[in-house]
Amino acid sequence: MRVILFSWEYPPRVVGQLAEYINALATQLVKNKVETYVVTYHDFLTGAAEEASGVKIVRVASPVHVNIGVLTWILTLNQEVERAAANIYYQANKQIDLINVYDWHFIPAAVTLKNALDVPFVYSVESLEDHRSPNSDTPYNMSIKSIEWLGFYEAQKVTVKSQLMRDEVVRIYNVPKEKVKVVLPSTDSWIKDVLELYTSVAGGLDSK
Amino acid sequence: MKKKLSVMMFTWEFPPRVIGGISPHVFFLSKSLAKSGVKVYVVTCDFPGAPAHEVIDGVEVYRIDSYKNPAPDFATWVYLMNLNMQKEAAAIVNKLADKIDVFHAHDWLVATAGIGLKHVFRKPLLVTMHSTEIGRRDGLHTNTEKMIHETEAWLTYEAWKVICCSAYMVSHVRWAFGLPEDKLVMIPNGVNINVYNKIETDLASFRAKFALPEEKIALYVGRLVYEKGIHVLINAVPKVLEKVNAKFTIVGSGYMKEQLLNIVRSMSLEHKVLFMGFADDETLLRLQKCADVSVVPSLFEPFGIVVLEAMAAKSPVVVSDTGGLSEIVKHDVTGFKAYPNNPESLALGITKILLDENYRNYIRENAYTQVQEKYDWEKIAQRTKAIYQAVLGEYSKSFWA
Repeated sequence: MRVILFSWEYPPRVVGQLAEYINALATQLVKNKVETYVVTYHDFLTGAAEEASGVKIVRVASPVHVNIGVLTWILTLNQEVERAAANIYYQANKQIDLINVYDWHFIPAAVTLKNALDVPFVYSVESLEDHRSPNSDTPYNMSIKSIEWLGFYEAQKVTVKSQLMRDEVVRIYNVPKEKVKVVLPSTDSWIKDVLELYTSVAGGLDSK
Repeated sequence: MKKKLSVMMFTWEFPPRVIGGISPHVFFLSKSLAKSGVKVYVVTCDFPGAPAHEVIDGVEVYRIDSYKNPAPDFATWVYLMNLNMQKEAAAIVNKLADKIDVFHAHDWLVATAGIGLKHVFRKPLLVTMHSTEIGRRDGLHTNTEKMIHETEAWLTYEAWKVICCSAYMVSHVRWAFGLPEDKLVMIPNGVNINVYNKIETDLASFRAKFALPEEKIALYVGRLVYEKGIHVLINAVPKVLEKVNAKFTIVGSGYMKEQLLNIVRSMSLEHKVLFMGFADDETLLRLQKCADVSVVPSLFEPFGIVVLEAMAAKSPVVVSDTGGLSEIVKHDVTGFKAYPNNPESLALGITKILLDENYRNYIRENAYTQVQEKYDWEKIAQRTKAIYQAVLGEYSKSFWA
C-alpha cells in the first residue's frame, strides 16, 4: 500500500500535538510495510526533503510571501501541496492508494486530487473551528468552517480520536455517523485500526 | 484522424457576468478559437439566471458556484473562489475521454486554480496578463497589493508563455516580474465590428434622450476610478465649452463618482455633464454610434479596448498618449493623442474634432480601416492557436509528455 499524509506540522516544526502524532503514525506505517509519504509545510528550519526511518518527507512553502491572513497563506500553499503530491503520484506510476489529510489546512489539495485523479482521501480531525473559536461566525471563521465542511463531504472516511469528537462532527456538520470512525492512539490495536481503515478506503472511488 | 487541439480557459468573468474587459475578451477569443477548429472549454464564475453549463457557438461554458465559501474580504474571496473553480474543473477534465491539451488563465483572479491543475494533470499552462497590480496602483503600498503582485509573479513563473495585448504591456510585465524575453508574446485585443453594423442608422430619437440637437456628444466609457483619468476629462469640460456646445456623457461607475459630481456642481455645469452609471449593451452600442467624439483620458491603460470599440463604431477618438492607447492610435491619422493628465491638451483634441469636419471624417475612416485590418478576432484566434501549438511542440519533448 502507498499512502500520502498531509499535515501542516511535522517535526522539527511542532505547533501542537499533531506533529508528534504524524511522526509516530508514519513510522508505524512504514514498519507495517506501507510506503509512506508526508507532505508538510517547509518553514526553512530543515531541508526541503529528507528520509527518516523510511518515511519520505516533502516540505513545501507558499511562493506568496506577503499575506493578509492565515487563509490566504493556506490557500496559496495548497497549490504547492498539490504539486508535491502530483509528483509523487506520477513517479509512483499513478499508484497512490489514498491520502490522509489532517485538519482543514490541506483539504483543498486533497479535494482537487480526488476529483482530478480519483485518489480517495481520509479526513482526520484534530480539532474543529467551532471549538477553536466558539460562538464566532465572522466571515473568517465561516470560511474555515466551509473548508471543514468540504472535507467531510468529499472524504471517503473521517477519523476522530474520541467518541465526543465523533458526536460533535455528527452534530455540527450532519455527517452520517457510519462515515466517522474513532481511532484511539492510546490502544494496542491503534495501528491495526488505521490499517483496516486504509484498506477499506483504498480503491474505494467508483472507477469510471 | 488527428485529435482536435483542446484548451480549458479560466476567467472570473464571462457574459452575462461583465465587470471589465476580460469578459468580452474571453467571449470573442473563445468563440473565434472554436471557429478555427479548437475545442474550447471555459470555466467561469456563476451569474444569476445564467446556466451552470451551456454551449455557445461550440464553446463549452461551465459556471461554478463562486460564493460557496463565505469570505472576509475581496482578495480572500478570490482564493476561495479558486478553490471551488479548481475542484469543479478537476472533475470536468477527469470525466473527459481525451483530457485537455493546454490550460489558459486570464489574470491573477484565476491564478491558483490554473497553477494547481497544471501540476495535477501535468499539462502546460498559459496566461494572458490583462493588467498588473503594480500598474493599477502605481506601486505596491499595502500587504494586499503585495500579495496580489506576488501571486501574479507566481502565475507568470508557472506559465509556459505569457500573453500581453500590447507592446507596452509586454515591456511592463517583463519589468514587473523579471521575465525572460522569449517567454512573452504580444497578441492584441480584438473588436467585433459586426455588432455596430447591425444597429439602425436613424438614431435621432435615441440621441434626443441624451443631448439637445445643437449639442455635440462627447462620450466617456469606463470605470470612474483614478487610473482611468476621468477627472482629467471633467477638468477639460469648461475649456471645451468655451469653443463648442457639447454634452459630456459619462458611462460607468466607480469610487470617484461623488468627487466628480462635486467638481461638476462647483463649476455649475450639471446641465452639460450627464452621469449615466452602468449602461446595458443596447444603449452603449447606440451611444458609441451617436458620439461625435469618444474620449479615453487614462493615466494607466494596459490596452484600451474601449478605444477600439469607438473606432469600430466610427466615432472619432481622443486618447491620452500612454500605454496601449499610444500603440493603437496614430496621431492625426486614426485619432488625436493628448498629453496624459493634461486637461488643456485633452480639450484641444476634443475641440479640434468637434469643430473640423474634414479632420473628423478623415480620422473616422482611417480608424475604421485600421480595426478591420489589425484587430479582427479571427486573426487573433489564429495567432493564439499558433502559440498553443508551439507550446505543445515544446511540451512533447518534455518528461511530462
